[in-house]
Formats: sequence, C-alpha cells, structure tokens
Amino acid sequence: MGFSRYVEVGRIVLISYGPNAGSLATVIDIVDQNKCLIDGPEEITGVSRQVIPYRRIALTDLTVKIQRNARAKQLKSAWKEGDVQAKWEGSSWAKKLEAKKKRSGLSDFDRFKVMVAKQQKSRIIAKKMKELKA
Amino acid sequence: MVGVRVLGITGPKKAAKAAPATGKSARYYPADDIPRPKHSRAKKHNAPKVRASITPGTVCILLSGRFRGKRVVCLKSLESGLLLVSGPYKVNGVPLRRVNQRYVIATSTKLDVSKVDVSKINDAYFARVESANKEGEEEFFANDAPKPAIVSDQRKADQKTVDAALMKVVESTPLLKNYLGSNFSLKKHDRPHKMVF
Amino acid sequence: MTVAGEMRQYQVVGRKAATDENPNPEAYRMIIFAPNPTTAKSKFWYFMRQFRKMKKTTGEILDCVELTEKNSRTVKNYGIWLRYDSRSGTHNMYREYRDLKLTGAISQLYDEMAGRHRTRPRSIQIIRTATVAPKDLKRPNGMQFAQAKVKFPLPHRVDSAKRGQKALSDRTFSTVRPTTMFN
Repeated sequence: MGFSRYVEVGRIVLISYGPNAGSLATVIDIVDQNKCLIDGPEEITGVSRQVIPYRRIALTDLTVKIQRNARAKQLKSAWKEGDVQAKWEGSSWAKKLEAKKKRSGLSDFDRFKVMVAKQQKSRIIAKKMKELKA
Repeated sequence: MVGVRVLGITGPKKAAKAAPATGKSARYYPADDIPRPKHSRAKKHNAPKVRASITPGTVCILLSGRFRGKRVVCLKSLESGLLLVSGPYKVNGVPLRRVNQRYVIATSTKLDVSKVDVSKINDAYFARVESANKEGEEEFFANDAPKPAIVSDQRKADQKTVDAALMKVVESTPLLKNYLGSNFSLKKHDRPHKMVF
Repeated sequence: MTVAGEMRQYQVVGRKAATDENPNPEAYRMIIFAPNPTTAKSKFWYFMRQFRKMKKTTGEILDCVELTEKNSRTVKNYGIWLRYDSRSGTHNMYREYRDLKLTGAISQLYDEMAGRHRTRPRSIQIIRTATVAPKDLKRPNGMQFAQAKVKFPLPHRVDSAKRGQKALSDRTFSTVRPTTMFN
C-alpha cells in the first residue's frame, strides 16, 4: 500500500500536542527532517505561524493549493476556496474527536441518559433480530 | 460594708451571695485557695462551610455508609454543617438523613426544591431518643433475633410530606426518577478523576 | 536547547580606557553569539586579547545590544563557518542549517557539534555566517529540503500526544507500546 498523506506545502495537519492541541494548521514550508513551518491561518484556526516538530502533528487527508511561504491572506483565501473547514468537519476523524469531547463533558445524569438510550437501542435490535431469525 | 468582696480569699460568688443579705462579710472562709478554671484558649469550631457545588436541590452521590452509591437530593445544610438529604425514600429507600459533605460527590444536576418545606427539620430533630425497653444484660446474651428498629410515626409523617413535595419536582423531569433510583458505580474503563459529575 | 542555552546575537563595542595620553582610543565592534550579555562581553574580551593588545582590566565596554532577526517568518538557509578545538587539534568547518533565525541556526550548530564531536560551547568559535541561496548550498541534507517541491511521508514516529500519556512518559518501564505507524 502506498502512502496517501505527505509532508508537503499546503498539507493540513492536526496539532496533537502543546498549547494548540486539537486545532488544524497548514504546512507552509519544510524546515528539515524534523520540523516544518505551519500557519493556521490564525483567523480561522487560531494557530499562529510557528515551527513545529512532526512529532506534534498528525497529517490529514486534506491539502490546500498555496505557495511556499504563503502569506496569511493567501492562506485564508485558499482555505475558503478549498472549503477546508467544512471538509474537515465532515470527516469521520473530526466527528470522532467531536464525539469524544462531548462524551468527556457529560454530567452524571447525562451519562445515565446515554445508558438508557443505549438499552433502548439494543432492545430494538434484539427484537428485530428475533423476528428475522424466526 | 455592702457587697465587699475580698478577692482571692473567698470565692467571689459565694461572698457576693452572702454579703448583701446580711450586710456583714461572709461567714464562709475557705481554708484552701479555690483553683479557678483556667481561661481556655480552645477555639469553638464553627460549622464547616458547605462547598459551593452543593446547594439546596443538588443531586449528590453518597460515598459511604449503608446508602453508599445512592443518588440523593440535598435539601439544605444544617447548623452543624451536615447536609440534609432525602432519597426520596420512595425512589431509592434513602430517608431524611444527615450526611457529611466530605462523603458526597456533588453532581451538576440541580432540582428546584424551593417548594419543599424542611424548615422545621434541624439537628435536634435527629437527636437520639432513649429507648424505653432497653435490653438488659440477660436479654443481650439471650440468643434471640434482633429487634427491628422502630421508626417513630412523627418521622414517617415528615418523610411523607417532604417526599410528596419532592416527588412533584422529580417527576417533572423525564428519567430523573429512574436516575435517582439507580446506583452509582465505576465500570471498567471509568476514570473518576477525569469524569465530570 | 544548547548546553549553553538558546544562543542570542549581540553587538559589543569596546575600547581601551581613555587616558591623558590617548583621550580618544579606537573603538572596536564585534558581533558575538552568546546566551546572555555577560557571556557576550566576556567573549568580546577573549577575542580582543587575541587581535589587539587590549584586555578587560585596562579597557571598557561602550555598548552591548542584542541584535534580532528582521524576518523571522520565513525559513532560510544559513551557512556557518567555524573553528573548533577537538581532543586532538583545531579544525575549521563549514555547516549549513535551515531555520527561521540565525540564532536558531547557531543553536542547532552548538547542539550538533556537541552531539557529533563532543564539542563544548567554549571550544567553538564562529568565524562567519551567511544566508545562502538554495542553488548555492553545499550540503546534501539541506539541499533536499530547500528544493521547490518537497514531499515525503512520515511512516514511523512516536507521537508527542501519546508520549504525554502517563504510561509512556513518566516511568522507566511501560506497559503499553507506542503507536508508531501512520499513513
């Protein structure tokens, strides 16, 4: 199987560690075998221009068409054009992260409600299965 | 010589008592110095502050005692700093009860208990009553079945009135009754320090 | 971080102390890489001693300011000429680094010299530095990242977020294996 995600100018990455953990950023330039230069764009994702090691990022499937060392303005328009935010939010990766965040913020009563809903769901499934088997 | 007090020789109270009546100095003269109680520096402890997450109406999880794991409703905090809670009794069997706030997890679920009147329930309400038919030594060693605890009719009645008001609130929220009826427990992958309550 | 800390760039100006015979001695300016101004001034006197008949006790520092990179928003190629004392002799060397700032490149250099040659900061002397155009690069490693179109996968690494996990980070032995495969 070949690779599908590369470190390259315009690659959208998810920051996994540090103060910006959880936000998206764009690779603008490659410094060396260990780090690259990223920019949010800051107006959209809140990540300012900075050098970051590859250990702290995860590559996504998304890319935008930009030049090396693109300015914030160009980057922003490239994001808008490529509809990156919407594409990311539509991905199952983002949905999973969102669900995880939601789950961790649930209160005790909410967890109980989830449990009840789960029971109801499996009851319906079990009933249906019984019907199909019969 | 009215009201003369010879300090340090007589007990001041006694001297004061004796002198005004007769107009004479006190007859009573103690042979030994009467040690006066030393002024105590021990501070009187005020009732502990109830933490901000617990307010009247907060659903709490009891952590110790025979009702551990039960989810109960906090009704108010008492003078002694203990919390007054109720199951309600009908839902999970926890009666009107005092609990220490240390042994409780406060959840973010809050009920509106402004309609529940618990003004007459205080610490004295829970004071122990001397049992009329106390077991003597013989009965203690007699190998009979333990007598069940008798709950006074007063308490039963109070429980009923408080629960009646409380149940109205509980039933207004869907699933809340079932929630209060269920026990709290940690499952395999639960990390209590990371959970939000 | 280098052994000596993050390197900074200082401009130090000093001269011999003025006397009645020579009320206005010639001042000398030097660009020095050091972690702090104190070390920068000390290094100034170290180099000055070697070039002129001057020393700290009979001289004075007129100025010591930190120089900052004008454009620290783009990645540049830095060439650095240096001289260092190894265990067996003194060597001249030329190295290239890619960084946002010259001081960053110098810090990388101190790190690498410590790693590859066990060289301590005190035995490294920076002779000259320059920003180098991609076509003028001499070292292949820098060259491959300075190309117009760079593209490579990250097949094998330990993610920092996973490293932050308790099981992986703060104990000698771990019960979990890190995920190192990515696509």
